[in-house]
Amino acid sequence: MIIEVKDLVKTYPGGVEAVRGVTFDVKEGEFFGFLGPNGAGKTTTMNMLVNLVKKTSGSITVDGFDLAKQPAEIYKRVGFAMQEIGLDETATAREMLQLHGRLYHLSTQRIDEQISKLLKLVELEKVADRFASTYSGGMRRRLDLALSLIHEPRILFLDEPTQGLDPHARQLIWNHLRDLNKRGMTVFLTTHFMDEAETLCERIAIMDKGQIVTRGTVPELLKEHGAKTLEEVFLKTTGSNIGEEEVNANASDPYVRGRG
Amino acid sequence: MSTFFSDWYYLSIRNTKQIWRPVMALIPSMFIPIFFFVVNSQSFSKVSAIPGFPHVSYKEFIAPVAIFTAIFFSAGNAGIELVQDIASGYFKKLLVMPINRLAIILGKLTEVAVQSVLQGGIVLVLLFAVGVPFKTGFFGVIAMFSMLILFAMAWSCIGMIAALRTQNARLVQSMFVLVFPFLYLTTSQMPREMLPDTFRIFATYNPVTSIVEGVRALVLDGWGNPAIWQGFLVAGILFVVMVALTLGSFKSALK
Repeated sequence: MIIEVKDLVKTYPGGVEAVRGVTFDVKEGEFFGFLGPNGAGKTTTMNMLVNLVKKTSGSITVDGFDLAKQPAEIYKRVGFAMQEIGLDETATAREMLQLHGRLYHLSTQRIDEQISKLLKLVELEKVADRFASTYSGGMRRRLDLALSLIHEPRILFLDEPTQGLDPHARQLIWNHLRDLNKRGMTVFLTTHFMDEAETLCERIAIMDKGQIVTRGTVPELLKEHGAKTLEEVFLKTTGSNIGEEEVNANASDPYVRGRG
Repeated sequence: MSTFFSDWYYLSIRNTKQIWRPVMALIPSMFIPIFFFVVNSQSFSKVSAIPGFPHVSYKEFIAPVAIFTAIFFSAGNAGIELVQDIASGYFKKLLVMPINRLAIILGKLTEVAVQSVLQGGIVLVLLFAVGVPFKTGFFGVIAMFSMLILFAMAWSCIGMIAALRTQNARLVQSMFVLVFPFLYLTTSQMPREMLPDTFRIFATYNPVTSIVEGVRALVLDGWGNPAIWQGFLVAGILFVVMVALTLGSFKSALK
């Protein structure tokens, strides 16, 4: 297993339990989907997997390394494209890719090779020397994806990678992700788009209110829950209350936490 | 080059480019010190005739403050840029890379140092142009910038700590107001002996006074003035303490 998570818990100050004892694993080379309504704890779980959020308890092992003891080894092996597209607005795509290559300590030659390969992959060759602030939403997503791939990670974490994209841009991203996975990269995807999960993921876990409520391949989930579509499985297993979702979705917001 | 120095170097280059992107952003922090210098040196030119005032013109007396102010104002940008990186999510990208966190801080501080030399240098040239002397010569200029860079880096840590602990852009931007009490409750405008008693007490305990007097000694007095070494000592202590506090604040960025 390339990712092993055991009894993972996250309780924010103020007592909001964002993740309540989650256990799962991801096989090497697998395309793993993490579904759930807003505020289910998907992003918090993913952020704990890359050490952006400190776990309250439980254990996380990535590619054989214990996150608590050797986070730097894990950082070298993972790429992360977040829900919020983190770009340096004052830099060009090429400059950002170069910097990231340097920060992953790649050789100059390898950086150059990777940049030309990735710019081609995400179709940003013609605009590579323009500032990121001039990019459209789709271009920004694609650049973000390219940045997370500069060091050819063994595992790619993607948090809602197609949120806010038009159908053409979504299709483009899906094609890239399928291609990367075919080449052996393990992909861990969180999404609340059922079609995205159904199209891309080999195995899926559905999370609600901080817990995994069901997991398996799409045919297994349909069979287990007597459903015709993944959406039906989702609704049957989550049946979430909107009010609770909103509180959970803001669990990391200090103002919400402060209200207790 | 070890990975730490390599990370520091490449992050410094990235941050330094932000100084002039856009170039217009440089103007306010250049305009304010020059404006105050011109207005104050003209408005209060007769102050130097008051008994007890040092034997220099008021223009010369406040000239070091103009350089100091240019650096003071620009040092606040580090916190603003950091909170922008946090808000955009770019900072998280840095945190999931195999980078030493001290290199992230030092990369920002290097930007502050470069900006300090650039802006302070421009003000210095203007001061030379209006006839302000520099008693300690070329090496005095080097010493002055060394002291001011240490202080600017320490001061910029206040904004970075606020950015890391609150992640709130409005609060970080409002930290700018701290410049005024810290700059004016010193001997920047008047010699210590001519300050009202209450202000004199504030000025004595305000660490910025040591920097102002250290720079002034380099410009107006000469190497023999102990204020120079006191200025270096205070700037050095502030630098070490503030960098340590900033490093500690990284924990707040990870909830």
